[in-house]
Amino acid sequence: MSMSPGRRKLVLAAHIMVSVGWLGAVAAYLGLAVAAVVTPDAETVRAAWIAMELTGWFVIVPLALASLLTGLVNAVGTPWGLFRHYWVLFKLLLTVFATAILLQHMPTVSAIARVVTETESAHLLPAGVRSDLVHAGGALLVLLVTAILAVYKPQGLTRYGWRKQHEQRTLSQP
Amino acid sequence: MADPPPYPGAPRWVKVSGIAVGGMILLAVILMIAGVGGPHGPGRHMTGTDTPGDRAPPGGGHR
Repeated sequence: MSMSPGRRKLVLAAHIMVSVGWLGAVAAYLGLAVAAVVTPDAETVRAAWIAMELTGWFVIVPLALASLLTGLVNAVGTPWGLFRHYWVLFKLLLTVFATAILLQHMPTVSAIARVVTETESAHLLPAGVRSDLVHAGGALLVLLVTAILAVYKPQGLTRYGWRKQHEQRTLSQP
Repeated sequence: MADPPPYPGAPRWVKVSGIAVGGMILLAVILMIAGVGGPHGPGRHMTGTDTPGDRAPPGGGHR
C-alpha cells in the first residue's frame, strides 16, 4: 500500500505536528510537576495538579494517540514500512510503550489531583505523593529519543527488510 | 527467484540500544519489586477509606 506524494506529505506533516505537540505538552507537564514538588504554597500544589490532570487527559493523551496513529499510517503508506528499518521499529516500540504507560498512569494523576484539592495542607503531603517527576521526565526522555531517531534515521535493515529489499531488487531487474 | 545474500546482522547501534533498554527495563522491574517508589496505581496516594477508585476523565472542574 503506497500513498500519493500529496497524501504522504499531509500525513507526514500531521505526524510531525502532533508528535512535536506531544513533546511540548510533556515539557509543560514536567514544569508543573516540578512546581508541585518545590513550592511551599498549598494553592500552587493544587493548581499544578489540576493543570496536570487537565493537560494529561485533554492534551497529552489525544496527542499521543494521534502520534501513534499518524506514525502507523505514515510507515505503512510509504516505502519505509513498519518492520523494515530498525529506527522505524524502535520508534514504534517506544511510542507504544510511552502511550501504554501514559494511559495506565493517568487515573493515578486524577486520583492525586483529587487528593490535593481535598486536602487542606496539600504542600505538607509527602514528596512521594506530590511528585510525578519520574513519569514526566521519563516520558520526555523517550520522546526526545524518538525525535532524534526520526531526524537521523540511523541505517540498519531488519531481517524482514533485508529480504523484502532483495525481492524488490530481483523484481525490478529485467 | 534467487536466494537473498546472507543477512549481515543488526548494526552496532541496535545492539547497544537493545542492551541499554533491556538494562533499564530490568532496573525498573527490580526497583518496583523492591518497593522503591511505593506501589503503583491510584490507591497508593490514598489514605484510609479515602479511595475514590479509578476516575473517568475530568468532567469540567474541581471543587
